[in-house]
Amino acid sequence: MIELEHVFKKFGPRLVVEDLMLHVPAGEIYGLLGHNGAGKSTAIGMMLGQVWPTSGEVRICGFEVSSQRGKALSKVGAIFESPCFYDYLSGRRNLEILSSYTRPTSPARMREVIEWVGLAGRENSKVRTYSHGMRARLALAQALLPQPELLILDEPSDGLDPEGIHEMRQTILRLHRELGLTILLSSHLLSEVEQLCTRIAVLNQGRKVFEGSLAETRQRQNWVLLKVADFEPTVHALKGAGLIADARDGRFVALSPGVGTDQIVNFVVERKTPLYEIAREEETLEDFYLSLMNSGRSPTGGLTKK
Amino acid sequence: MFYLHLRNELWKLFGKKRTYIGFGAFILAQTVMLLAFRFTRWQEDLTRLLAGNGYLAEEYVSALTVSVIMLIPQVLLLMPLYAALVGGDLVAKEAEDGTLRMILSRPISRFRLLLAKWCAGTVFSMVLVLSLGGTALLLAWFWFPWRGMFVFAPGMVFNVLPAGEGLRLYVCSHLLMAVNASVILGLAFMFSCFNMKPAAATILALSYLFVNLVMEGIPFFDRYQEWFLPHHFRVWLLVYEDPTPWHRLLSSLVVLLAANVTTFLIGLAGFQARDIKS
Repeated sequence: MIELEHVFKKFGPRLVVEDLMLHVPAGEIYGLLGHNGAGKSTAIGMMLGQVWPTSGEVRICGFEVSSQRGKALSKVGAIFESPCFYDYLSGRRNLEILSSYTRPTSPARMREVIEWVGLAGRENSKVRTYSHGMRARLALAQALLPQPELLILDEPSDGLDPEGIHEMRQTILRLHRELGLTILLSSHLLSEVEQLCTRIAVLNQGRKVFEGSLAETRQRQNWVLLKVADFEPTVHALKGAGLIADARDGRFVALSPGVGTDQIVNFVVERKTPLYEIAREEETLEDFYLSLMNSGRSPTGGLTKK
Repeated sequence: MFYLHLRNELWKLFGKKRTYIGFGAFILAQTVMLLAFRFTRWQEDLTRLLAGNGYLAEEYVSALTVSVIMLIPQVLLLMPLYAALVGGDLVAKEAEDGTLRMILSRPISRFRLLLAKWCAGTVFSMVLVLSLGGTALLLAWFWFPWRGMFVFAPGMVFNVLPAGEGLRLYVCSHLLMAVNASVILGLAFMFSCFNMKPAAATILALSYLFVNLVMEGIPFFDRYQEWFLPHHFRVWLLVYEDPTPWHRLLSSLVVLLAANVTTFLIGLAGFQARDIKS
């Protein structure tokens, strides 16, 4: 659905996106993570044809955005942080204006979407009278009106209260479930990404430093919780057999490369050592993200996965 | 589809209160000028000028004459200001407010968007100028009778006309003034297509016109008059000349239309190359 191939972007002498490769398959909720200035919004700008890439190719729904903008964006809806509208016009008029840039919308479709986002009854009020939450719903409505297949959300929860954030999260899940939309979500909120996304890419200083499934982020470390009757002798024996590389805290062992937990279980059971529990230690997305940021862009960090 | 985009731009333009500042300012200025004309020596000076040239002043101190007199300062001062104000807003204000980013996430081409905006600006120019002329005539009609028309612009026009002919030329001169307004608006529009604040686009356009006006007034530049826009802006006064200087009128009109196309193309080139970011 979204393909970025070797994309570079420079603003003057400053390189803000460097050799970015991104593939978002249809049907995913794909998270784009990174700190402020990491290049997320620039990448999204390039996907929407608002920012011209210095080099590289950006394709949406199979069409090159720079040369076939009309076709590329015909099935795309987008929401930006702090959505902006013509405050002096009504919500309905805003929807009519924005949707007509894709294609004219029938009154029936307009009514359907207004009801879907929960703005019925307030659509004829001026947008300046809307709360943050209502503006977010209006933003969603304008994105949904052209019946998109791909939804690009750039910090959609920005400025919302906890209740609004929860509502937005539920709406995204509903969109994915009921309408089968592919969703690209750029967010600072790691918990939001953790709850919504199936795959993520992490950007740091314009470079992708990780791309993979959320499950991978949880299992990137080889630490395993091992509860046995005699920890130290067991560790000694496991090291001797080359099954583990390290141990810590009297209960964690680091598996040697290529070793699975089943081999540890077999080894311990064969030694007739009572085994109470064995489980992989899962990292939270926050731990994972922070470790990525700390390791920076070092190629030896083993984190860059293109 | 283009009609829809033009309709959008007109909704946006005429939905804003600040669009109407110009109309309000015109009515206020016209009222003040009418009062001044009625109650100061201004009217006496006009009567003396007509009598000195052998005309019966009572026949020509009329609604039409006063309307044209009121037009000159408004066309020189207020019209450029409000046309530039709206032109400077057309793209730059949307970029500043963030709505441009919302539009450009849609499959509309930048050219089409700019063309719709420019057409809406041209419609605004027409409406602004026709309102200016209409209200001037209506307000003058409250105070002065409907008689012959006297037009005087030092060094350019001195003519007296019957009321019917005067009204016809009054309408024609407004159509030409609308072209002037669209050029001024187009100039501000061009600047607003680049990455700058709306006020900066307006100020740049007005500064450009001011520099043109000053240079045109310097004797050294006499031979280059055709290169300055204000020289061609006076085309609206030429329609009152007898006989009509068709060659000068048409050549100025062509220059103004060419200026409009040029500013649009420069604006388009700038806008096309630009990155739109929040």
